[in-house]
Amino acid sequence: MRWHKRLLVAGVTGVLALTASACAGGQVRGAGGTPKPAESGGSSQPAASSAAQANDSTFVYVPNLDVVTDWDPATSYSNEIVAMQNIYEGLTRYNSQEKKAEPRLATEWTSADDGKEWTFKLRQGVKFHSGATLDAEAAKKAIERTIEKKGGAAYIWDAVKTIDAVDASTLKFTLKYATPLDLVASSGYAAYIYDVNAVDKDGKSDAGTGPYTIDSWQKGKETELTLKAYEGYWGGWKPEQYKKVAYRVTPEITTAWQLLQKGEVNFVQRLNPQLFQQAGTTPNVQTASSPSFQNLLVLFNTASGPAKDVKVRQALQYAIDYDGLVAALKGSGQKGNGLVPQGLLGRTNDMEPKQDLAKAQALLAEAGYGPDNPELKLTMTYAQGDDDQKLLVTLLSSALKGMNVTLQAKPMTWSAQWDLGKKQGQDIFVMYWYPDYPDAYSWFVNVFKSADKPQFNLSYLKDSAIDTAIDALPQLTATDQLKADQAYKDLQKKIIQDQAAVAVPYVQTYQRALTSDVEGYVDNPAYPNVVFFYDLKKRAS
Amino acid sequence: MSRYLTRRLGQALLVVSGVVVLTFVVMRLVPGDPAVAFAGPKATPEELAAARRQFGLDDPIPVQLLNYVRDLLTGDWGVSLRTRQPVLDDLYVAFPASLELVGTALVIAVVVGIPVGVLAARYKAKFPDLGVRFGSMLAVSVPVFWLALALQTVFASNLGWFPIAGEYDSSLDTTSPLTLWTNITIVDALITGNWPIFTSTLQHLVLPALVVAAYPTGVIAQMTRAALIEESGQDHSKLERALGFGETSILTRFALRPALNPVLSLIALVFAYAIVNGFLVEAVFNWPGLGRYAAESIKSLDTPAIAGVTLLVALVYVLANLVVDILQGFVDPRARQR
Repeated sequence: MRWHKRLLVAGVTGVLALTASACAGGQVRGAGGTPKPAESGGSSQPAASSAAQANDSTFVYVPNLDVVTDWDPATSYSNEIVAMQNIYEGLTRYNSQEKKAEPRLATEWTSADDGKEWTFKLRQGVKFHSGATLDAEAAKKAIERTIEKKGGAAYIWDAVKTIDAVDASTLKFTLKYATPLDLVASSGYAAYIYDVNAVDKDGKSDAGTGPYTIDSWQKGKETELTLKAYEGYWGGWKPEQYKKVAYRVTPEITTAWQLLQKGEVNFVQRLNPQLFQQAGTTPNVQTASSPSFQNLLVLFNTASGPAKDVKVRQALQYAIDYDGLVAALKGSGQKGNGLVPQGLLGRTNDMEPKQDLAKAQALLAEAGYGPDNPELKLTMTYAQGDDDQKLLVTLLSSALKGMNVTLQAKPMTWSAQWDLGKKQGQDIFVMYWYPDYPDAYSWFVNVFKSADKPQFNLSYLKDSAIDTAIDALPQLTATDQLKADQAYKDLQKKIIQDQAAVAVPYVQTYQRALTSDVEGYVDNPAYPNVVFFYDLKKRAS
Repeated sequence: MSRYLTRRLGQALLVVSGVVVLTFVVMRLVPGDPAVAFAGPKATPEELAAARRQFGLDDPIPVQLLNYVRDLLTGDWGVSLRTRQPVLDDLYVAFPASLELVGTALVIAVVVGIPVGVLAARYKAKFPDLGVRFGSMLAVSVPVFWLALALQTVFASNLGWFPIAGEYDSSLDTTSPLTLWTNITIVDALITGNWPIFTSTLQHLVLPALVVAAYPTGVIAQMTRAALIEESGQDHSKLERALGFGETSILTRFALRPALNPVLSLIALVFAYAIVNGFLVEAVFNWPGLGRYAAESIKSLDTPAIAGVTLLVALVYVLANLVVDILQGFVDPRARQR
């Protein structure tokens, strides 16, 4: 029996060794850390001149997904925008109230030659977190590296022919075709100016100029990322600003809500409608909601199947219960009005859709369908697990049922749905769209311009007049905004009313919940889910 | 004994290879293009092509299977489409946290379940037995996510006795950073003498561990009770009774050891079950373990990560069964014949 015991010991040791070897040994976790917010421990450090209290608490942001998947500012194209926008800066930043770009690393800019030449004056005295100085040469290198990497949203610079560092503070772009480069430079992705020599894909350090810099990053941990104030920030620091930030990943909404009520976290990115309503009446919690740049598109197959008939498409547009849908969304969406969301150039005000079942039925009858005619079967694909889209499906199919139309709706993962869509495998394709930089052009060039191999043109619209009008948009935006605005409006009439290629039921509304001691929070839809921590203050208690 | 061992190892190997092939097949059967999941919802054709090349999705399926097996054996479990890190790296972080939770839960289950089972067997059909049977039935049948939410709401949110969620108070990372050896926080805190993190983790562990422990405790108590009652009806018990031993000492001195045999194999089954059951608990308590990782991976159709979790759970399951079978071989030589 003795050798049995030895075997047992060997076995147990083996299992232990296996576990141990599967684990990193002896490294110290997290150099930085995340002190709890709100409880600043009553340390009211007397500020020199102002009466403001020093803010030594950490602002805790609760994302529901992993924060960082890509640390390279050139290729980053995912959730990390919520952190990156506080670490990195672009030449400009989009002001969603005034619908235009405003200074950030560039203080002023001019365009010439009908929008094909842009000159940016850079801010003086800006240092990268790496210690290097920002000058035109550094900015040029950063943008050129982003273009070369060809990842993420690098295409936003497609129009650029050459970049010249005229002098230390002057950056000149020569374009292949006119583009509103001030808007491009304010893009949420791929527009960061960074020190090309300091990019670290392991997230130990960063290469930005922004107000915050990486404090610690521990992939997979609950508090995945912490940021700390960059003391040499060009904007300077005031005592009441938050000097520390933490991202505490909490996928479960109810958990996030409980943490917020306890004051353990400061900002919850998204609650469900019920909890959001509750949050509105909870002491110590404030809520904020604002329209986003993300809308739902219901794309009809204009190329084949029954929806090839424009009358069927128009009937479908009339069959959607827009008001019912928005009511059921309980504030997390508002009615669409054309393709362009509020806050972007090209917004129309007279295209609000309305359900009209009588008109729908009449149009169907004209197309040879309806109660007295053979049954019409339509296939529809939408996002699996998306309750809002499912709501649309339910409302639409019940409306159509009365008209002898059967909707065969299939929930699918994006990759499967997209695969099928590229093969023209459905009559109705439901998806969200949002622009990469705050410009409505994104909807038109990606979704409605003719394509032999459809990528996002999933209504398969092919109309050379529309294509020509779409191609003219960037130049108009860069040179004559009034004309551009009109061109956008005309195009939307063509695409939505004449062609009936799409219905736009609603624009998503961001619903945030914050602790009530946070002051100065404004949602900027051009940077989805980003909180600009630098703009916030902690209310003195 | 060595023949028994070889046979069991062979069986284990067979099961694991079956799981590998099955995972691979399921991964490829799922509609959709993994490259799309990696390259993002707005991927350009070039990015898609590059991703396809990177993952070898252009190769014929048998070649992909062979590559998959080869990669697994060389420790390359693929790259997560969501976190963009090697799956194995992700599992190194997530699995120890799950072990911590499930391990604690099993300790609770054994420490509570066995004595409670003995108690029930001793007072069969009397009040303590009825209480134990009712309690264990409840523990086994209550949905784990409901129990998790209930405990969280009552003891964390309303009464404030325990923290709401998380593994430990993360502000301790600044004040007393933890040196990692095994990646199991509570073990590392203990061996490095990091008391702040140790006590904080312990506090955070209580609620989720109780929830995960509920099912195993109930099952173990019931099984112990049933096995003891059976043993106490055997001839040897009758002999002991005739020799004048009391009921309690018959149960604890003679019947318990043979009765523990089925309980032992049960623990292995329950261990694997608890890991999967813990998935839901981890989601509610935001425990940074395998469950949360699996849930997130499934939500984003991260096939390499899902495959990685599946394989790991299968390995744990097989390993646990193997260990128990071997242990049983020691405790009860008859088991080797089976």
